[in-house]
Amino acid sequence: MTPVVVRRPGPNGSPAAIAFHTALAVLAALALAGALFAVQGADPLAAYAALFSEAFGTMRGFGFSLVRATPLALIALGTVVAWRSGFGYLGFEGCFMVGAAAATAAALASAEGRMLAPLPSWLALALAMLASFAAGGAWAGLVGLVRTRLGANEVLVSLMTNYVGLLGVQYLISGPMRAPGGLPQSERVPSDVWLPFVIPGSRAHAGILLTVAAAGLVWFLLRRTPLGYELIVAGLNPAAARYGGIEVGRRVLLASVLAGGLGALAGMAELLGVQHRLVDGMGGGVGFTGVVVALLARLNPLAVVPLAVLYGGMTVGADAMQRGAGIPSSIAAILQSLIVLLILASERLRYYRLNPSLFRLGRDRAGAAPGRPAGP
Amino acid sequence: MGAGHWLGSAFLATWLAASVRLSGPVLLAALGEIFAERSGVLNVGIEGTILLGALASYLAAYASGDVWLALLAGAAGGVLSGVLLAWMYVTIRASQVVAGIVFNVLAVGLAGTLYRLALGASAAPQTVAMFEPLRFPLLSGLPVLGPVLFSHAAPLYLAFALVPAAHFVLFRTGFGLALRAAGENPKAADNAGISVARMRYAGTLISGTAAGMSGGYVVLAEVGLFRETIVSGQGFIALAIVILGRWRPWTAALAAVAFGAADALQLSLQLFGAGLPPQLLLSLPYVLTILAISGLFGRSAAQPAALMQPYAPR
Repeated sequence: MTPVVVRRPGPNGSPAAIAFHTALAVLAALALAGALFAVQGADPLAAYAALFSEAFGTMRGFGFSLVRATPLALIALGTVVAWRSGFGYLGFEGCFMVGAAAATAAALASAEGRMLAPLPSWLALALAMLASFAAGGAWAGLVGLVRTRLGANEVLVSLMTNYVGLLGVQYLISGPMRAPGGLPQSERVPSDVWLPFVIPGSRAHAGILLTVAAAGLVWFLLRRTPLGYELIVAGLNPAAARYGGIEVGRRVLLASVLAGGLGALAGMAELLGVQHRLVDGMGGGVGFTGVVVALLARLNPLAVVPLAVLYGGMTVGADAMQRGAGIPSSIAAILQSLIVLLILASERLRYYRLNPSLFRLGRDRAGAAPGRPAGP
Repeated sequence: MGAGHWLGSAFLATWLAASVRLSGPVLLAALGEIFAERSGVLNVGIEGTILLGALASYLAAYASGDVWLALLAGAAGGVLSGVLLAWMYVTIRASQVVAGIVFNVLAVGLAGTLYRLALGASAAPQTVAMFEPLRFPLLSGLPVLGPVLFSHAAPLYLAFALVPAAHFVLFRTGFGLALRAAGENPKAADNAGISVARMRYAGTLISGTAAGMSGGYVVLAEVGLFRETIVSGQGFIALAIVILGRWRPWTAALAAVAFGAADALQLSLQLFGAGLPPQLLLSLPYVLTILAISGLFGRSAAQPAALMQPYAPR
């Protein structure tokens, strides 16, 4: 019996093979989630049409997709900077909350009669962004310091810092920053420091423009500057980088600060663009879904924004389906994670190919076909 | 009970009893995680596994009303999760952190969807049968010791009984030695004829089973309900306990009680009206864990040397 597939000596790295296997993985994920639609009595094709038309078919829906995409993309960009530099940071849940808290504090300081009240509102907004970026940079930078100075494992440390950040914000909104009233939440920030809405008739706010700019900057930094080159080399092979005169520790530290700042800006955008006051649990797992988006983008900053819009759109579409057809919105999370899991799995498929001898019908199965040179 | 008496024996008994009670589910998950990490697999996916185990237990309890069967269902849900995770970690050789994080997102989606699929979209949450606290003759009536040690539900005693069992398997059996070898030096283990892949599958499946049961424990002994938010960080707490416990079952049990104590202390302080912010106490164990792994007090030789490193036999 001739085997149908045989192992290749190495993975097939041609762009066509990568595209083929990625498409295969996405289709398999769509089919699996489609089966879940079918089990609930919905026609899978109609369900997918509804999902995506809600998210991308109307200006209002598209605006919501952009709103959902903004924090995802900023966290994904933070992931790109950190992971490309060999810093396996997973503390974005905490960064997000720290960034939101810092933005709240700065924005509230610009309210009537407070310290920053005399400032023009655009300056107060810029200051809130800066405060958020700085707080997140310091937050993740501490983890970078622990890794570079003490050699600790940043994956485990950063996972633990998430809870310190979440609990810290819980403390702030039930204590020092708590607004009068029954709920643990901060005061509402004054409306002139909100991120302005950018598409009439939708909730899309200026955070998406910030995100696009950030993606461009991250791409420029990593691909067009000597510093970015050093970051990437430090991530690919720290020993070789050190041998080549790159100060790996300082580069990793810089990457951790940038990543934390980007993660914090996600919290800032959610706060000044959507929530407008600090509340517990406003992240809702975005710190991990953002990492998933970065993985899907294969850590390419330019692919991050479109994929974040796609993933944000899936969430928006699924929410609408839950309201309309009663199909649980959690199907979005299934689709979002299955796609990445199956793409990861498909990379193993590139080690295999169809057995060539199957195509030499009947003749000469044992050796090379006549007229062709024998292999090396 | 006045606020002035808050360090009295009533407070002490309430606090210690709650410490032990709250440490149970995370201890169970941490004991399993020790096996995964000792085999070289950082199973971040236990957070999602706990959630799916909780769902399986809830649905089984809802359908059958039998708590032990429901606990087994939780373990079965954990085994299924473990198979998928082990396939990603070992066979696909994906980055363990990546596979675990993505699996957790998948688990949240699956739990929400399957729950609604099983019970209908509009179903109001229904409570299910729960484990009753055990009553021991004489012992349960003891002052302080009675409530602290002899007033808990059966899964708690199971979790603590598994501590010596886990220690024995890890450090006194050939299987434990092979498992640790796979996590410490996979190449040497391979050369010695140990199948690293099989050991890592075993470690991941043990951790999946324990995490699934831990989820069942939460539903069947603590909450009696299922919600998608029922598991919020227990898996990551278990990871912290493994580190704080230096990858050993007995010390992990101590670490689990310490986490439980911090949790219970903030509950008791709120109850007795002391003015300490509860979040401070809650974050203390995480800060301790960070200090423990930061290397401030020297490198930890306890961490399995090949943790997080996929192994390709050649």
